[in-house]
Amino acid sequence: MDAILDFFGFAFIQSQLPRFWDGFRLTLAISGASMIGAVMWGLALVGPRMSGLPVVVVPIVAYIELVRNTPLLLQIYLFYFGLPLLGLPLSAFVCGVIAIASQHGAFLCEIYRAGIQSISRQQWEGALALGMTRRKAMRQVILPQAVLKVVPPIGNQLVILIKDTSLVSAIGIIELTLSGKMVIERSGASFEVFLFIAAAYLLLTTTFGVVLRIAENSLRARQ
Amino acid sequence: MFDVLGANLPYLMKGAQQTLWLAIVGVGLGTLLGLVLGVTGAMVGGVVPAIVTTYVFVIRGIPVLVWMFLAYYMLPQLGLMVGDMTAVIGALILYTGAFVTEIARGAVMAVPKHQTEAAKALGMRKLTMLRLVILPQATSLSIPPLLNNSVMMIKATSYVSVVGVWELTYAAREVVERTLAAFQIFLGVMLIYFLICYPLTLAARYLEKRFSYEH
Repeated sequence: MDAILDFFGFAFIQSQLPRFWDGFRLTLAISGASMIGAVMWGLALVGPRMSGLPVVVVPIVAYIELVRNTPLLLQIYLFYFGLPLLGLPLSAFVCGVIAIASQHGAFLCEIYRAGIQSISRQQWEGALALGMTRRKAMRQVILPQAVLKVVPPIGNQLVILIKDTSLVSAIGIIELTLSGKMVIERSGASFEVFLFIAAAYLLLTTTFGVVLRIAENSLRARQ
Repeated sequence: MFDVLGANLPYLMKGAQQTLWLAIVGVGLGTLLGLVLGVTGAMVGGVVPAIVTTYVFVIRGIPVLVWMFLAYYMLPQLGLMVGDMTAVIGALILYTGAFVTEIARGAVMAVPKHQTEAAKALGMRKLTMLRLVILPQATSLSIPPLLNNSVMMIKATSYVSVVGVWELTYAAREVVERTLAAFQIFLGVMLIYFLICYPLTLAARYLEKRFSYEH
């Protein structure tokens, strides 16, 4: 047993726990900030995206398609190395959060849109026939139904978001992934560090998934 | 203003070649692995489905970048003296495979039960049923998500640059370090990725629509 624990570098991992903990907390902070940003950004985009006005729709669609079809890593680099040239030297943390929120917000916008469009025309017609205004019909009839439909895909997207926070290690933010790499470089330890990091991510994404499912069920039960 | 992009384009195109190669090998083999695992997981009983589910769960719950680091540090330690390139391709294959497994399994499960029952009633063996009844129906269902998944994984090939493998994104960073033209180079390289990914996205969307009319 001792030999097995030794193979996985148990004592060593234990000695490095404070470093991993710092990284883990930073991963949590980036995930949280980016999630809030992405959800809001998606909401901000979806109204104009569905407005039907070409002047508004065309640039938004162009932005969404560009962001969804290029790597997040490059978008992070663009903000981190590009913004200072515009006289906006934001911190690595802020650049990372902006880039992640921007990409996932674009994905979320399309999820919201699909949810709203999936509610059948008859619901609209019924609400309008009852004398509701379009705004009121949207708020009281369409959105409550759409919300239930989009909660699972939003959850999936946010799990991907958590995993994507590992990319900000590339701009020097010492979150969970980079904390592992630094420990390896400083100590000569090896893969056991990344086994531990991988387990930490698995725990994080699984816990988040379970919490989401509970939230989803209680939402469904309430309606 | 975009002169700097033009001047460095040949170098970046070499990087794009490397990215395409990573994508074809990593995503191609990963898709193959996932198709086999997914169909097996849906068709075979016993412990196989549980093993497949565990594989999908563990792989998908952890960032692909962490898998790349893990492969990079772990394989040599286990006595497999592979290059860093082979290690990250291994991670890409495993990661793609997990997502494709879910797609393939979902597509097989989506074939209506009365189809398999009818096939059994006709006395077909499992393999014949798979070839003649299940796969033809599951294929059209799974092609759009497979294309979308390929786009996701092509984007993920850029992450190998963080581990230190040279491809398009790595080349872009080199050029930016030399020229300081962050905007022109990164936007230009984004455009190259876009030209690779967007046709696949459009094809997925088109096929999705066509198949949904057929059903």
